[in-house]
Amino acid sequence: MEPTRSSDAGSGNSGTYTPEIAESIRFEEEIQSLMRENTMHPGLEPPPVGGGGSSFTALLGLPANQAVELLHEPESEESPAVAIASASGGEMWRFRLRDPKALTLPSGCSPTFPSNAALVERAARLSVFATEDSPEAASVPSHSGDRSTKPKAEPADSDSQPICPIPGERPQRPAKRKEADKGNKVKGPAKKTKSAEEGSAKGAEENTSGSGEKLPYVHVRARRGQATDSHSLAERARREKINARMKLLQELVPGCSKISGTALVLDEIINHVQSLQRQVEVLSMRLAAVNPRIDFSGLDSFLSAEHRCTPTS
Amino acid sequence: MPRLLSLYLAFPITTMQASNTFKQAFLKRMLLGLQLAGVSSKCMTIQERKSAIKLSADVAMACARGSTNWSRAIVTDLSKQEKNKVLLRSILGKDFERLIKPCHHTWKIPRSKKILKRSFRECSRRRKGLRAPHGLATSVLARVLVKKRTQVLKRLIPGGEYLDGSYLLDETLDYAISLRAQVDLMQRLSKAFEASKLGSHNVCTLQARGDSYADK
Repeated sequence: MEPTRSSDAGSGNSGTYTPEIAESIRFEEEIQSLMRENTMHPGLEPPPVGGGGSSFTALLGLPANQAVELLHEPESEESPAVAIASASGGEMWRFRLRDPKALTLPSGCSPTFPSNAALVERAARLSVFATEDSPEAASVPSHSGDRSTKPKAEPADSDSQPICPIPGERPQRPAKRKEADKGNKVKGPAKKTKSAEEGSAKGAEENTSGSGEKLPYVHVRARRGQATDSHSLAERARREKINARMKLLQELVPGCSKISGTALVLDEIINHVQSLQRQVEVLSMRLAAVNPRIDFSGLDSFLSAEHRCTPTS
Repeated sequence: MPRLLSLYLAFPITTMQASNTFKQAFLKRMLLGLQLAGVSSKCMTIQERKSAIKLSADVAMACARGSTNWSRAIVTDLSKQEKNKVLLRSILGKDFERLIKPCHHTWKIPRSKKILKRSFRECSRRRKGLRAPHGLATSVLARVLVKKRTQVLKRLIPGGEYLDGSYLLDETLDYAISLRAQVDLMQRLSKAFEASKLGSHNVCTLQARGDSYADK
């Protein structure tokens, strides 16, 4: 991933574009095919094929400042996003994008904005960023059904490199990532957080710490030297979730924090739960032995007094 | 006046614990259940009384917890027997219908933000740590062992056989916390009852028992 997400242009690698030109062309073609296939949602209309390609370069043709302003503008307003689901072959990732109309308002530059939305979506698919605020947290339960299908990412997505624009559009790269950062939200509270050891670890840190405050969105970034196709990403996210839960369980069960290894920890957890259940049995037997002498006549007044005083503590 | 409760709630919090509202609701529901199950009558055998007490305790725990997978599983399993159904209905009232009703399985347990935050901190901390090198054989063996234990765990947790992965662990955590609170409450109840039994041969009211318990 790129190290800088600042808006100052001109920072970035030089001379690394040559192998990535072909990739960006492939990218463009894929976007066009995406636009053609994307007929599922009425909010997004596939633009004309020629227009798709031209608007892609149109976005890149923007000067840096304008693009950044374009991206910052919708961030300030809390307009509801338009849900867009990628329709390409079994793709399950869903994103929320800012209303395309709102995005065109400040700059008024690109008339064929929906294709930029798909570009942003594509960018987000490769690296999904969480936002600090998640105003769509309320919509989480409605999309919880998607969560189970979330791990199935697009199999055709084999691009492991971050999107590098064609040479000459270098300043757009941080701008684009900004857009991907601020303009995209992942639906569903799948909590996948990974650090980026290459690149802005600081950005990842602040994102994870920020997302730790509320119900966070997914924050997925590939680690250096690891496979970044969507299958292993999803699997790794799942494993991280499970490991986090295991940590919590280790804290719960006394004496379990020293143990390393999932199987042993699970052993301890099972023993703990079984012992608790056995204790319940023993105690209920004790209560049964003691019980016939108990009079519940005072119970009514006790319970009604409970109702009268507020049960806050 | 609710000194029994206030002492109960002043229990020192060491690790994760059930919330106080949960404990209050649990106690109330349990006492109601004990009364309705008619455990004070002499016509029950000790086994019957024990199972009635256990049923009342489990139902109270499930009701106080609200709508989680394991709590609904408890109520559903208990209501499969016809003789329990009437008792359950009288204890739970309208909560019975709410708990029995089939619900979306992907619904998330409302967990406290504190635990969620911790979970994320652990997640980020873990990423910085080293990972043990995994050979093929060790990972296969580890996977088999973990699979076996997961199956055992599924049988332990009520309603766990339909869950998997992180959901199962979520449920385990929640269930373990609630079980701990249940054990704690039943211990205190049995201590209170036994103390009152020893203290006076007369029939005591619950409040008096609460006072003597609080004096300890």
